[in-house]
Amino acid sequence: MSVLHTLTDPFSQTLMQRALLEVLLLAAVGGTLGCWIVLGGLSYGAESLAHGMFPGLVLAALAGVPLLLGGAAGILAAALAVALAARVGQDRIARDDAIAVAVTTLFGAGALLALSPDVPVGIQGLLFGDVLGTSRADLLAGSALVALVLLALLLGHQRLLAVGFDRDGARALGVAPVAVDALLLTLLALAVLVAVQGLGNLLVVAVLVAPAAAARLLARRLVPMMALAVLLGALAGVGGLYLSYYARIAAGASIAGLLVATWLLARLVARASSIRKGSAVRTS
Amino acid sequence: MLEPFQLPFVQRALIELLLLAVLAGTLGCWIVLRGLAFATHGAAAAAFPGLVLADGLGFAAALGGFGAALLFALTVGGLSAATGDPRAAAEQREGHDARTALVLVAALAIGVVLASDVFHSAASVESLLFGSLLAIGPADVRLAAAAAVVAAIASALLGTRWLATGFDPAAARTLGIRSHLPDALLLTLVAFGAVATLSAVGALLATALLVVPAATTRLLSNRIPRWQLATTALAAAEGTAGIWLAVQLNAPPGATIAVIAGTAFAATALGKAAT
Amino acid sequence: MTADPRGGVRGAAADSADRAGGREDARAPGEDPGCARPERTGPARQLLRAQGIAVAYPSGQPVLQDVTFELTAGERIAVLGPNGGGKTTLFRALLGELRPAAGTLELPARCASVPQTERSRLDYPVSALDVVLMGTLPNRAWWRRPSRADRAAAQAALARVALTEHADDTYGELSGGQRQRVLIARALVQNTQVLLLDEPFSGLDTASATRLEALLQTLAGEGRGILMATHDLEQARGWDRVLCLNGSQIAFGVPAPTLTHDVLAATYGGAIVTLPDPDGTAPHQAILPPHHHHHDHAPG
Repeated sequence: MSVLHTLTDPFSQTLMQRALLEVLLLAAVGGTLGCWIVLGGLSYGAESLAHGMFPGLVLAALAGVPLLLGGAAGILAAALAVALAARVGQDRIARDDAIAVAVTTLFGAGALLALSPDVPVGIQGLLFGDVLGTSRADLLAGSALVALVLLALLLGHQRLLAVGFDRDGARALGVAPVAVDALLLTLLALAVLVAVQGLGNLLVVAVLVAPAAAARLLARRLVPMMALAVLLGALAGVGGLYLSYYARIAAGASIAGLLVATWLLARLVARASSIRKGSAVRTS
Repeated sequence: MLEPFQLPFVQRALIELLLLAVLAGTLGCWIVLRGLAFATHGAAAAAFPGLVLADGLGFAAALGGFGAALLFALTVGGLSAATGDPRAAAEQREGHDARTALVLVAALAIGVVLASDVFHSAASVESLLFGSLLAIGPADVRLAAAAAVVAAIASALLGTRWLATGFDPAAARTLGIRSHLPDALLLTLVAFGAVATLSAVGALLATALLVVPAATTRLLSNRIPRWQLATTALAAAEGTAGIWLAVQLNAPPGATIAVIAGTAFAATALGKAAT
Repeated sequence: MTADPRGGVRGAAADSADRAGGREDARAPGEDPGCARPERTGPARQLLRAQGIAVAYPSGQPVLQDVTFELTAGERIAVLGPNGGGKTTLFRALLGELRPAAGTLELPARCASVPQTERSRLDYPVSALDVVLMGTLPNRAWWRRPSRADRAAAQAALARVALTEHADDTYGELSGGQRQRVLIARALVQNTQVLLLDEPFSGLDTASATRLEALLQTLAGEGRGILMATHDLEQARGWDRVLCLNGSQIAFGVPAPTLTHDVLAATYGGAIVTLPDPDGTAPHQAILPPHHHHHDHAPG
């Protein structure tokens, strides 16, 4: 009886129920899109977009405007800044370093805006998320965006696969790699927008990268990999909510921590099983 | 107009910044040349939980920070053992990026949990993340001085090796440069440098000092010694302006410096594009 | 037993004249008796024709000039030239990725390409069949998933390259020769008349190379046209025509009269080495192994 209570007690409150739904949404988008992010080496890009959008979030909080709008503006600004910086540095500076310049500046600007005024802006919620503060509006907007991303991934699957596997070959098949890249980045922006509410812009990359990185080590085909990633994301997310409830620690951080722990566990399992089989293993 | 500089805490901040400017010049140029921006950011962020732990358990903050940052830099933020094969490099980088991002996230998550829920020092989370330049003590200044000196010496001694390995890793090995130790030392230095900047700009803005000024002057210089000097000068100027502005506007100094540094980069880039 | 006028893998040059006029009944070694053969009653069809074309990248500089050649059904053309000399650029133009900056290009037939294997990822979670299925993309509306017909075509293509039992294996775990065949299957499933292969023999062991040569002969025998970029001079001598490119066209024609020392020198800029033949007959020439610089040819 008490085990059942332990499992169900946390979710008797509405705010926890909403948090649960939010977590499941995040797992859905993070697990699926995350596979393309990990396979495409876009983890750094995801990280940069998430950090770079910070001033947008701060401005929204200061102006009392929905976070989604501020986040959208922030992401656009970040994408633009990153593209410009990479262009400018071109032959002198490594692309990643140029991106770091853009992101650091934007992030600093956000901090400047957030820490200066007399009215505190709740910076920790923006940085680390506020999953327990998920509103009905957040859930509705989030569901719509996640549905959009999932639909796009379903329709674009074959093209994403062709470009990811062999860029030149894809071009020869009539698939434009640049267009597919643009699609992926747009979907990434949408996913970050959804996830930033729950996890904050510092931790959002956990749900976009950890489940997929873990599933990559355990699955041999893309579709099973995606399914596994969604499952792992959901388990870690729900586990994080339990942890937060019972251990009384920040929910966003708990979820992020468990997501990374899932990935570490997957690495151990993959390494152990490959030692048993005696074959080479991917060590990431 | 110059009243701020008569205040003792501002003077201390200025000294710290000038020392960090030397660090920005010597180490920062190597960070930009070898593409270590993400590793620097990660090392600084990794130091965050170390600092919280040290603070909570009562041992020297710098030690805790450095330990964590070093662990990060050497295990995850490492330079890829480049083989010259572009496809292997791409696959390796994909895994490397994911690893770095995840460890960074874990460090931040652990740090905020320790700070907010374990040691209940929530108020200091912001100062740890964004720096508290106007509240630094003599220990911080000593750390900055040590880092600046070590970086300058290391750059003088190991610079040629770092340059050769960065230019063509495969060839470097055949030239007999056993590249592992110098690179390991570079990463250690990055960790050390990141920790040294923490008190000034915090765990999340280390790159504002260690990457942005060097990147800015890189647009204009093509030789390392000149580049390093220019970077030091630029970083010093940006730091001074940042402190002054922060005092005048009652704004967080670390963030102010970051914005100034970024603006300088944009201005330099625009200026270069226009000519 | 019918005598095979092609006499094995290397003697193909002699009967190109026959081929222009009509086809003999001989079968290539290893040919599948069930495969379709087109009716041959008149002169062979022209599959593509280039007249004085020049190709440039969007940045402006022409990479290739004065290219004039034609490909007829059943013909195999070896494209020779140094790295950076324009082979891949020509292929991109033939695929329609680049517009010729000058000259005319007639492409009555569609082309499918087999790019260099090195550019595909070995760690991707795809099976051999998944890769072949990518070849069905061009024939399908963008929102559609592969149909049963597509899957059947992919299986058939795998069967043609003798990889049916590896259909479900991870692509990256196959051998170099098998991967090459998977990419060929991907091209075959597009059911085009022209095949473009970019250095398909590089890195293959002898057994795989022999098998591949036989497969290409079979495909040509079905009436397809094949353009293959290669560094193997001796192999090129065994094909129907050679096209020598080095920034511009050096020569085009039947191998024996075309591959003179001067032509080779102009094509490779002096990196020709004459190797004495161990059997004591004619010494043959080879190209010094090119130093592979992995730079990205394609902007963007």
